[in-house]
Amino acid sequence: MVNRSVTSTLSGIPVGKTLRNIVKGPIVGLLALILFFSVITPGFFSFGNFINIFNQIAIWGVLALGMTFVIITGGVDLSVGCVLGLSSMMMGYSAEYLGLPFPLAMLIGTLVGPIAGLINGLLVSKIKLPPFIATLSMFYVARGLANIITDGDQILNYPAWFIGFNYTRYLGFITVSGIVFLFLVGSSLFFLTKTGTGRNLLAVGGSEEVARLSGINVDRHLILAYVISGTFAAIAGIMIASRVNASEPAQGTTYELYAIAIAVIGGTSLSGGEGSILGTLIGAFIIGILNNGLNLNGISPFIQTILVGVIIVFAVGLDMFSRTRDSSRPHHSE
Amino acid sequence: MAFSHQHMRNMMNMMNMMKNSMKPLLAKHSSTGKGSLYALILMVVFLIATTPSFVSMNNFLNIIDQITINGIMAIGVTLVIITGGIDLSVGSVLAFSMMTFGVLTKDASLPYFLSITVGVLAGTACGLVNGLLVTKAKIPPFIATLSMLSIARGLANIVSGNTQRYDFAFWFSDLSGKRYLNLFSITTTLLLVLTIVFALYMKYREGGNRIYAIGFNPEVARLAGVKVERVTTLVYVISGTLAGLAGIVLNSQLSSSQPYAAVGYELNVIAAVVIGGASLSGGVGTIGGTFIGALIIGVLRNGLNLNGVNVFMQQVLIGIVIAVTVGIDMLKNRK
Repeated sequence: MVNRSVTSTLSGIPVGKTLRNIVKGPIVGLLALILFFSVITPGFFSFGNFINIFNQIAIWGVLALGMTFVIITGGVDLSVGCVLGLSSMMMGYSAEYLGLPFPLAMLIGTLVGPIAGLINGLLVSKIKLPPFIATLSMFYVARGLANIITDGDQILNYPAWFIGFNYTRYLGFITVSGIVFLFLVGSSLFFLTKTGTGRNLLAVGGSEEVARLSGINVDRHLILAYVISGTFAAIAGIMIASRVNASEPAQGTTYELYAIAIAVIGGTSLSGGEGSILGTLIGAFIIGILNNGLNLNGISPFIQTILVGVIIVFAVGLDMFSRTRDSSRPHHSE
Repeated sequence: MAFSHQHMRNMMNMMNMMKNSMKPLLAKHSSTGKGSLYALILMVVFLIATTPSFVSMNNFLNIIDQITINGIMAIGVTLVIITGGIDLSVGSVLAFSMMTFGVLTKDASLPYFLSITVGVLAGTACGLVNGLLVTKAKIPPFIATLSMLSIARGLANIVSGNTQRYDFAFWFSDLSGKRYLNLFSITTTLLLVLTIVFALYMKYREGGNRIYAIGFNPEVARLAGVKVERVTTLVYVISGTLAGLAGIVLNSQLSSSQPYAAVGYELNVIAAVVIGGASLSGGVGTIGGTFIGALIIGVLRNGLNLNGVNVFMQQVLIGIVIAVTVGIDMLKNRK
């Protein structure tokens, strides 16, 4: 009883407390998962294995980071999986078909992201298309384009140094992909919590009307969120090309749903105005540890699919339960 | 807490007023989808003018065949979207039903009518779980059905040991392959009958009004006496059941059960519903509109095929059609 009222006071206004509140549930879940697998699985609780997990979640993690920005504004980005595929294909095409230098090809692939994101953002902010529809359109367009580039063919054989991004471990533990992920986590965290623009994004998601009245340029912030999401998706596209040493038009199929799931498990609310980068990182770890732990125990990947679903329900269900119990809790818009 | 008669009567009057005040709104909302009808007519006229092979009975029947799966699932998803929800699980539920049917028929040698029933009921069960998660556990529909997308796909893999089943009875393949009176197969007849029945129900029956009322405003609907939780659950059950039925139809079309069938179909289905004029914020949409939405996608693909436009370009164009149809609606509404 006392606890409950304390919680509701804590979740009053200050951003720091709100953040702690958001990630509390996911952290408990993550620790429980780690404890569970450590007890039943020899070899799970080791530095080497955690590094493995970190590298495994890098691609979904990057997608989910970008997705978090969009969901915080109250939107959703269904196009990230397809933008990932398009970016990977554009990079491969520029390098192998056009013969451009590889770093330039990587840059061209990455540029696909902000362009797709800009279009998404304009459709949402200026045309007022519901985000689901705007990004569903981009979903089809980007996947179609990814196929058109080579008429459905895959592109193979990348330079060794590029494939090494995903295998060569620096300082004995971290790959370039891992560094990119870590860097994006750090800069997203800083951007969202320490800059005015980041906090404005939260305000836009809390209530567009209130944000507008308090002088925030809502359209510009919405567009920014989609541009970030698109850019991160394109970066993930480069990362996946390095991981599988190939660009394929179908890469990233259904990844958008995993990205959304990770953000949601991490405590980001689909109604907007609430969410944290730390939560998303934890969400990515939850999915990664679940897959890793079940793999080490020889559980079939199909049961893993089912468990991912069950865990999403539990994570969100518990969150909803604590909210209805505490209905006095205000909606956070900053 | 005793209420006087007068008090009761006042409340009843208020609720009736609410009901009545909802009617014009509903009438207005059900007139959406006109835009998509014009778009369809425009497309058909264009194709008639440019593509001789488009104008044939056979080609028209082909299109209906091709939209059967999408059309059947889109009916259920329309109802869900009208309540303000969404169902992302239909593709996976289709596969789960399909594999349940396939395994019961081929491994357990059950008679077809029994395995078809159980297969469809597997979809019903998924829908029920979705509905209860949404109404009882208060989980947002997007999340509840996203979980089911994962769970049902896993189940489809597990019940089948992740291998396909094939070699079904000829009459079973004929359900989708054989046209009667040179017109419709059993499965396309099923699509048309379901569309008409649900369209009439949504337009003329009180139950249909209740579904619109929930999407329009659940609180007002509750005050007007609608059992919101029960109706909402029922709508997800219908969506799951129709996805299950679509699984049987697809099995007949392919003459095999595939655990990876219909991956990503949920978005195609939602695209048809949205092109047909339904609003994802609920309260707006019609079954007729959705059928037109499915037809638009079908005609577009067919017309582009006949003109030798490659499959991938079709994807791009479908994306653009979604943005343009919904965009025009939004711009019109703002005026």
